[in-house]
Amino acid sequence: MRGTILSSVATLALMTTAAIAGGKVTVITSFPDSMTGPIEAAFEAAHPEFDLEILNKKTSAGVKYIQEIAGDNTADIFWASAPDAFEVLKGDQLLSKVTITSEGIPDRIGAYPLNDPEGYYFGFAGAGYGIMWNERYLKANDLAPAKEWMDLAGAEYHGHVGMSAPSRSGTTHLTVETLLQGEGWDQGWSQWKRIAGNFRTVTERSFGVPDGVNTGNFGLGIVIDFFGFSSKASGFPVDFAYPTVTALVPANVAVVADAPNEDGAVTFINYMLTPEGQSVLLDPAIMRLPINPATYAEAPEGFPNPFEDSTIGASVKFDVEKSGARYNLVNSMFDVMITYRLDDLRAAVGALHEAEARYSETGNEEAKALIDEAWALIDANPIDEAQSLDPEFAGIFTKKRRKATDEVGERQAEIEQRWDAFVVENYARATELANKAAAM
Amino acid sequence: MSSSSSSSGAQAAGLSDRVPNWLVPNLSGLHIAAVLIALLLIGLLLVPVAQVMIVAFQDPATGAATLQNFVDFFGTSLFRESFWNSFYVSAMSVVVATAIALPLAYITTRFHFSGSILIQSLGFIPLIMPPFVGAVAMQLIFGRNGTVNLLLRDWFGISIPFMEGLNGVILVQSIHYFPFILINLSASLRNIDRSMEEAAQNLGSHGMRLFRRIVFPLAMPGYIAGAALVFIKVFDDLGTPLLLNVNNMLAPQAFLRISSIGISDPMGYVISVILVVFSILSLWASFLFMRGKDYATVQKGGGGMAKRSLKPLEKTLAYGTVILILLVVLSPHLGLLLLSFGTIWSFAPLPDGYTLQNYITMWEGSKTFILNTVLYAGIAATLDVIIGTAIAYIVLRTGIFGRKALDYLATAALAVPGVVLGIGYLRTFHQIDVPFTGEPMASWWVIIALALMIRRLPYALRACTAALQQVSLALEEAAESLGATKRRTIQKVVIPLMTGGILAGFVTSFATAAVELSATIMLVSSNNDAPLAYGIYLFMQTPSGRGAGAALGIVAVIVVAIGTIASQIIIERDKKLKASGDAH
Amino acid sequence: MTKAGIKIEDVHLSFGETEVLKGVNLDIKPGEFFAFLGPSGSGKSTLLRAIAGFGPDPRGRILIGDRNVVGQSPWKRNVGMVFQSYALWPHMSVRDNVGFGLKERKLPNAQIRPKVDAALDLVGLAHLADRMPNQLSGGQQQRIALARTIVVEPEVLLLDEPLSNLDASLRVQMRRELLNLQRKLGLTTIFVTHDQEEANTTSDRMAVLDGGVIQQIGTPQELYDTPANLFVANFLGTANILKGRVEADGTAARFVTETGDHLSLPAGMRSSGSNIVLRPQNITLLREEGPNTLTGTISHKEFLGSQIRYLVNAGGTEMVVDQSHSAGLDWFETGTQVFLQTNTSSAIVL
Repeated sequence: MRGTILSSVATLALMTTAAIAGGKVTVITSFPDSMTGPIEAAFEAAHPEFDLEILNKKTSAGVKYIQEIAGDNTADIFWASAPDAFEVLKGDQLLSKVTITSEGIPDRIGAYPLNDPEGYYFGFAGAGYGIMWNERYLKANDLAPAKEWMDLAGAEYHGHVGMSAPSRSGTTHLTVETLLQGEGWDQGWSQWKRIAGNFRTVTERSFGVPDGVNTGNFGLGIVIDFFGFSSKASGFPVDFAYPTVTALVPANVAVVADAPNEDGAVTFINYMLTPEGQSVLLDPAIMRLPINPATYAEAPEGFPNPFEDSTIGASVKFDVEKSGARYNLVNSMFDVMITYRLDDLRAAVGALHEAEARYSETGNEEAKALIDEAWALIDANPIDEAQSLDPEFAGIFTKKRRKATDEVGERQAEIEQRWDAFVVENYARATELANKAAAM
Repeated sequence: MSSSSSSSGAQAAGLSDRVPNWLVPNLSGLHIAAVLIALLLIGLLLVPVAQVMIVAFQDPATGAATLQNFVDFFGTSLFRESFWNSFYVSAMSVVVATAIALPLAYITTRFHFSGSILIQSLGFIPLIMPPFVGAVAMQLIFGRNGTVNLLLRDWFGISIPFMEGLNGVILVQSIHYFPFILINLSASLRNIDRSMEEAAQNLGSHGMRLFRRIVFPLAMPGYIAGAALVFIKVFDDLGTPLLLNVNNMLAPQAFLRISSIGISDPMGYVISVILVVFSILSLWASFLFMRGKDYATVQKGGGGMAKRSLKPLEKTLAYGTVILILLVVLSPHLGLLLLSFGTIWSFAPLPDGYTLQNYITMWEGSKTFILNTVLYAGIAATLDVIIGTAIAYIVLRTGIFGRKALDYLATAALAVPGVVLGIGYLRTFHQIDVPFTGEPMASWWVIIALALMIRRLPYALRACTAALQQVSLALEEAAESLGATKRRTIQKVVIPLMTGGILAGFVTSFATAAVELSATIMLVSSNNDAPLAYGIYLFMQTPSGRGAGAALGIVAVIVVAIGTIASQIIIERDKKLKASGDAH
Repeated sequence: MTKAGIKIEDVHLSFGETEVLKGVNLDIKPGEFFAFLGPSGSGKSTLLRAIAGFGPDPRGRILIGDRNVVGQSPWKRNVGMVFQSYALWPHMSVRDNVGFGLKERKLPNAQIRPKVDAALDLVGLAHLADRMPNQLSGGQQQRIALARTIVVEPEVLLLDEPLSNLDASLRVQMRRELLNLQRKLGLTTIFVTHDQEEANTTSDRMAVLDGGVIQQIGTPQELYDTPANLFVANFLGTANILKGRVEADGTAARFVTETGDHLSLPAGMRSSGSNIVLRPQNITLLREEGPNTLTGTISHKEFLGSQIRYLVNAGGTEMVVDQSHSAGLDWFETGTQVFLQTNTSSAIVL
């Protein structure tokens, strides 16, 4: 539309002919420009009849956007990492079921099925969470890189770790849920809170974590692999490793229901799964794991290959349904217990580290009892797993009134206030106990 | 206040349709203009904001009207804390911004000080960089492991938590918004009659006491106007706390809650209402305070402004202060400049190496952004000065019913956070299709320009009002008595005399619209439609793009700085033109 | 209250390249009401401000009593100045305005209050103490400004065009009040004005300034009756100036105008000079020629009430002639030929 104003008549004529041939394909994506750019260029070179329109939104905002415009949809493709986001859209019947031809693409990556069994969305690349660190920062602070999640809970990393909030980043949510499923509800939350006690910050955007590590604002970050790879490829003094417990999950793409240009959308998805399309993923600015095993022949030295290295992402079996059932509830719990109360949590965990250091010198059993009691307070959860999966309770966090007669019991604000009071008191008490123990 | 007045405007519009017989004959061109502007403001400001606010008053379970959500808000300790934090950060930002602006304003207006115009122009620069870009650069310089702290740690083994938590927000916001105080305070100081100060000196007062008891109180109206703006802007600002990962404040809480997947939690909307109401209250309080305190006019027979020469020691001290302050307030720009020319900058006082590559990357990928920005900001600023001039004329020179309401309504846009406006536009214009193309209006690029227009209207309106106030009514009456019609008078006498002020308003609107992000981030429906600030935001989301984003930021700053200096020159020339008549 | 005289010795002052005061010398006696009279740009306000300590430091000496104040800060001089704009601070009440100087002098509040009340009483505005300045009329503001200045008991009082912002009737009333107040307090006072009537009616003595130079110093009558030069003659009252020369013939002398008319001069009058100054009221219009008359034609007439002012073409110029008016008196119509009889004993040859 704006072309009519900005371009000359000649360009206008060209644009119109292009539009007649294939048309505009509107893509809603959470992927950064550095990734969409090369893919767009490759696609438009291979299919000049199409014009890809990229609209960048955070995963959560993208889902919200598609929900908002559903009445008069203008988007053709939703393209993002987190499978759960696709689950949400699928649940709202906002995705279209299409047939995609995919030759030489396996069914799974790691332990995770590549495509939606019902055919609403498709994996096009693999990604897994891991730990990224800044070499200069670690050297200056005399630290070694952490290899496993629980290493990050060590006293030496206090105040050096960064992570994004699961409510802000779909892939972060996946990591949180992976640990909850892999270690069990209580053990999983306990680990998260002990790691979070070492956080420097909880970033608002998922890119905030690699950014913080790249600049050296904090030393270690919990990030998705390609952020680590592409940062390293861009020349930053950083590195990345997968811990044992990680979910290797596909990044996905789907056609939006009632897409104005469904043909174009399908052509784009098909193209991304061709060997040609897959090899674009190895661009230094992208660095995603291709899902076509053949493409790894072109990969640079040291680039992980999950189809050969079976240790990556094999140890967890991710239950998408379970995750979807409590998606918002888990996000809300993480925000209430960690994001919004990070200062209290960090203070409590810091005090406990000191108390433990003191105990290792004194061996005072009384102190040990206090320390255990304090850890128990930090570990305590306001609800158990059964309640998290209770559809009625989880429904409070997802309710979307369709009819005026829809009725939901308690209000989210009331529950969150109760949780908040619970954790604030526990953290304060834990700090008190830890200080007491440290004084013994 | 504004809601009652606007409804009267709506009524007038409705009535004119229904009973044209007795109303239309009385409708002059100005009446029609007033009605059109009222409709525009209602459609583009009131309705969209109401669309957002109404959710706050609905029971999420039943949809019935309720105040329960507000009870929940104040019953939640996190929200009370956020409220307090927002208040604290805003108040502290005013304090720090004052500490920055006061010496600059005082030194440049009250003394013969070479470079005053340069300093005043440089002092304006921070305003024209999106705060989120400033925050990135400030992290690199003042962050925990930024240049300053790395050096401090190396040399003295200490570090200063400039950017930790709320401190960071306060620092970034103060540096970004202090020009509001600088501009208003300087104008007030310039307007203090020389005899006001001399009378006090004559009675034995001097130095700090003179400043505290006479000069500052007289400059108070300008100071309060600036301080209120800073307070409101900081209170509403979203980008900076988000970028600094500070969540326990109202605006981020609203954004986080409104934009999260699937949550139709009314709390985000409750916070929006509170933000809007609190901003309007602060504006109103500052208006109340300033009423009847219009000291700023030079009195009859007065001597104009008193400028004093500095003694050598004072001069050294003054230059030292000014240079230190400028270094601090321009540090985001220095940081951005380094970043744009740097290769890798990680855990080091300075980048590892320097390159031009970022500018090449930027140039290849951002032509659309720049063109879009010029287009959107151009449309927005043009409409702003047209509407601003019309409103100013209607308010100052006519007795049209509800004219004050028009003024309040246009000014109320100040109090609407960009995010709230953005969400409101999405909700309101989604159902409406653009004629001929059939696209929903919400994803039409024109809506971005309109949102920018509404956001910048208060600034343009103030500039136009000030310009019109300086045009003596007698000049108009002279034209009319010579037989010119109202329309001809406005065209041939009023507008030409207002040119300087209108141009200044245009440039300010254009410059600030060019770097606006908060409303546009909600409304951009395709990267091809994205303006510059959004482009910088996109670049900054990738490890390899930071340098290019910084380069684009530098281009933006330079473009806007040229515009600003141009407007300064226009204003100065205009002033001289007007002053040449009454030189002794 | 101490009375101090003011001595100004060879004061020069420049703004950049322009010299505004070019060697001013003055001696103002203690308790004197002294006026600086001059057109705008004559340097009168600059001189006043130099005494108060505003503007650039002048060369030369300004003595208040016996202390030289040149180079001294304004706030140390203890001279009171009332500004043309009054300069009342709009953010302070009348009481706070008036009490300001006393507060600066660190007086305890208990002493400030009665002094402020007394000062307000003196100007007759005690009832307005709690008003804000913008609630006062121009005349009231003027009096408050005066009260604010005298309450600190300055050694000298400087008034910068204090009446120029008032309307005509108030101006007359205020200048009388000013004079009464000055007499009551006995303060050495300098009054700057461009209005000769104000200067004449109030001052004991005055200095006429032009171009940064004092033209003449003296009492109002001296200056009017015996102006030292044409500028003073013209500036004080209306003057008809005829060009010509003095012809002496023994003890008798006469002034011969350029048109050849002869005017005999009384004995003892200055016998050199090329101008003769005739005041309008010292000329009588006659229908017939007489001794010491000039011939002229009425070109214009104005009825001023007590007087009729004629413009008469005579002596090579247009002369102003005032004739007192009373009922029944005949007028001279325009175009009539008339004879102007001059009372040369009040004429001045310059």
